[in-house]
Amino acid sequence: MNMPLEEEILCFLQRPDKGKFETVALRLYEQQRNHNSVYARYCESLGQSEPIHSWKRIPAVPQQAFKYSELRSFPASETAAEFRTSGTTGEGFGRHFLGSLKLYQTAVQSGWDYFRLPRNPFALLMQHPEKAQFSSLSRMGSFLCDGRRDSFFVSNEGAVEVDRLRTFLSSRTEPVTLFGTALAFLNLLEEASDLPLPPGSILMETGGFKGLDREVVQADLYIRLSKCFRTEVDCIWNEYGMTELSSQFYSRGLGQPHLAPPWLRFLVIDPKTNREASSGEIGLLRVFDLANFWSVLAVQTQDLAVAKGEEGFLLLGRDPAALPRGCSRAMDALIRRETLIKWENKGINMALNAVAESH
Amino acid sequence: MQLPNRIEAIASAAREFQWLSNLTPSAMRRWIELELGSLLDANTPRAYGDHHCSAQPLSPILHIVSGNTPHAGIQSLTRGILVGAKNRIKLPRKGLPELDHFVRLLPTELKPEMSNSLQGNWMEEAEAIVIFGSDETVEFFAKHVLPRQRLVAYGHRISLGLVLGPFDENVIEGAVHDVLVFDQLGCLSPQLYYIAGDSAEFARKLAERFNQLFSSSSTVTEWTSEIAGSLRSCREEWKFRAATEPGVQVWESPDNLDWLVIHDPNPGLISNPLYRTIFVKPIPGDLESVLYPIRRQISTIGVHPVDSRTAELAIRLGAQRVCPVGGMQNPAVTWHHDGGPTLASLVRFVDIEGLQTE
Repeated sequence: MNMPLEEEILCFLQRPDKGKFETVALRLYEQQRNHNSVYARYCESLGQSEPIHSWKRIPAVPQQAFKYSELRSFPASETAAEFRTSGTTGEGFGRHFLGSLKLYQTAVQSGWDYFRLPRNPFALLMQHPEKAQFSSLSRMGSFLCDGRRDSFFVSNEGAVEVDRLRTFLSSRTEPVTLFGTALAFLNLLEEASDLPLPPGSILMETGGFKGLDREVVQADLYIRLSKCFRTEVDCIWNEYGMTELSSQFYSRGLGQPHLAPPWLRFLVIDPKTNREASSGEIGLLRVFDLANFWSVLAVQTQDLAVAKGEEGFLLLGRDPAALPRGCSRAMDALIRRETLIKWENKGINMALNAVAESH
Repeated sequence: MQLPNRIEAIASAAREFQWLSNLTPSAMRRWIELELGSLLDANTPRAYGDHHCSAQPLSPILHIVSGNTPHAGIQSLTRGILVGAKNRIKLPRKGLPELDHFVRLLPTELKPEMSNSLQGNWMEEAEAIVIFGSDETVEFFAKHVLPRQRLVAYGHRISLGLVLGPFDENVIEGAVHDVLVFDQLGCLSPQLYYIAGDSAEFARKLAERFNQLFSSSSTVTEWTSEIAGSLRSCREEWKFRAATEPGVQVWESPDNLDWLVIHDPNPGLISNPLYRTIFVKPIPGDLESVLYPIRRQISTIGVHPVDSRTAELAIRLGAQRVCPVGGMQNPAVTWHHDGGPTLASLVRFVDIEGLQTE
C-alpha cells in the first residue's frame, strides 16, 4: 500500500517539481496518520480532525518525541534500519526507524547534487557505518562516497587518523571534500596546523558544540580551518541535518542562510504563540521533509532560526535548554577531550571569565 | 568601620528590599553570635577554652556571582561586610541591577569593587574566593585556587517539595509561591513536587491557582527568544507525552508561556527549563533510590507537614535545609548555606596562648 507514494516521493527527489510539494506532503500526512498510531493519537490530542489543505498545517511532532515513542508508519517487523541520537546525556536516545534506506540514500545524494556540491574524492571525519551502525551521519557519508572504506578517517576508538589523512591529502592533486563534525575538525586542528588541500577542494562541517565542554563560535572555527587547510572561508559549507530527519539543509561560508532542496520545507515558529513567526522574527525551526516517509514528515526542532524568504533561514542554534543531540554528537562523544584547552591558552583571566559566564 | 556600624549600614540598605526584610540589626547580631560568639566583636581577643582567640576577616574576598538571582550576590556581600573584609565582586556579564542598587545604598567605606570581568590580580590577591555557579564553573575555578586561599563554593543545587499529608488551599498557595519567586531560578526554587495521595489532583489545583493569578494580572511576561524557545520545546514535548503516555497531564497558560504544570506518573528525575515550569509526581515507595543520583546536589526540601517524620525523611534524602512548603525561598538569616557556616567560612581564627589579662 505504501509503494505508490514511496515511488512518487522517490521521483520527486530525483526530478523535483516544486508545484507538487503540497499535494505529496498532504498525501504523506494522511498516510502517516493512518499507519502511525502514535502520530494519530498526537494529532487527535491537538484537535486536528478537519482535513488539512496546506502543508503548513500538518501537525509537527516535537523532535524529542523520537526519544519516547517508536514513530513508525510501517510494521516494526519490516524495519530495515535504525538511526539513533547520541543519548550521551543520560536521558535516553531518540530512535528513527526506516523501512528502507532507498529514500534516505536518494535524499542524501540528490540533496548534495541539488546544491552542486562536488562528488570529489571524500575524506570523511567519521566512522564507517559498520562501526557506527546507528549513526545517520556515517550512513550519509557512506552514501556520498559510495561506501569506500578508505574514505573514513576515524578509528574504531573514535580518534581522527591524522597521519593517514595527511598522507591522503598530500598525495592528491585533484580537489577533495573533507566532511566531518565541528568537533572532529577541532580535534584535527589540535593535532595538525597545516594540511593544505588541493585547489578546488571544499570542507563540509556539521553539528555544533551544544552541551560539550568547548564552545567555539563558528566564525573562529572557520578562520582556523581556512588557515589550516589554506582555503577560503567561502569554501567551507555547513550541513544542517539531524537523526530525526532524512534530508539536509546546506549553507556556504559565514552568515549565509541554510537552503533547502525542493522536497524539504520549513517554518519558523514563534515560541510564544506556537504559530508561524512574523517575517524577520526569531523562532523555532519546524521542518517538513518528504523523505521522512517512514516516520513523520513534520518535525518541530529545538533550534532557533530566522527565515530568509521561503528558501532558507539563518540558523541561530540550539536553545539553551535543548539537550545535546544531533548526528554530530554521537561522533563528538567519541572524541571528547580535555575541557577549555583553547581558553587556557588565552590567559587565566579570560579563561576564568569565560567559565563564569558559561554557567 | 566598626561592626555595629557595619550592621546598621547593611540593615539600612536592606530596608529598601522587601525580600531582605529579615536582615535586621538584631537578626544579624544573633547570627554573628551563633557562628562566631564574641570573637568578631572586638580587637581584644576573647577567652576560648584554655587560651584566647580572635576572628579576623579573610580579606580581600572575591565574590564570583551568577546571574540567576540577585539574592546570592547580596547575601555574599553582606557576609563579607559583616566579617569586616574588603570585597570585590565579579558580576555576570549582564550585571545585577538589584546588587547595584544595594551597593549604592551602602556608605562609601563599605562599597565593594565591582566589575563584569576579573580585574588585574583579583584572583591572586584574594584570601577567600566565593563562587556561585554550576559544578563545572566551580570545578574550573577550584583548579586555580592557591593552597593559601580559601574556596567557598556554592554549586548548582536542586530543591523540591514533598507533600506527605492532606493538602489544602494554603499548601497549594505556598507551593505556587515557591515556584513564582525569582521565576524559579534560585537554588532554593522547587523543580518538582512529590505527592503522597492524589498527585494529579495536586497538579490540577496548582494549575488552577496559577491560572487565577495570571489571568487576573495585567503583567505581560517577555522572555528572551532562547528562554521562550526552551519553554515552548518543553511544553510541546510534554503535550506529546500526554497524548501518548497514560497518566501524563499538562496544564498550560493559555496563549502565552507564563506557567506550566506537568503531572508525570513516572517518579524519575527529569530536566526542567524552569521559569515557572513545575512537575508533580506521585511519591514512589523507593524515593531514596530515585533521588540517590542527586542526593549531593539537593539544597532545600519543602515539606508538608513539617514534623519529625517528614524532617527525618528529608534529611535522609540529602536535604541541607528543610522547611514548610511556601517558605522555600525565605531561609532564616542564620541558615547554613549548603550545610556550612556562612560567616565562619570567611574568617581565620587567631589563637593566642599565654595572654596576660588584667
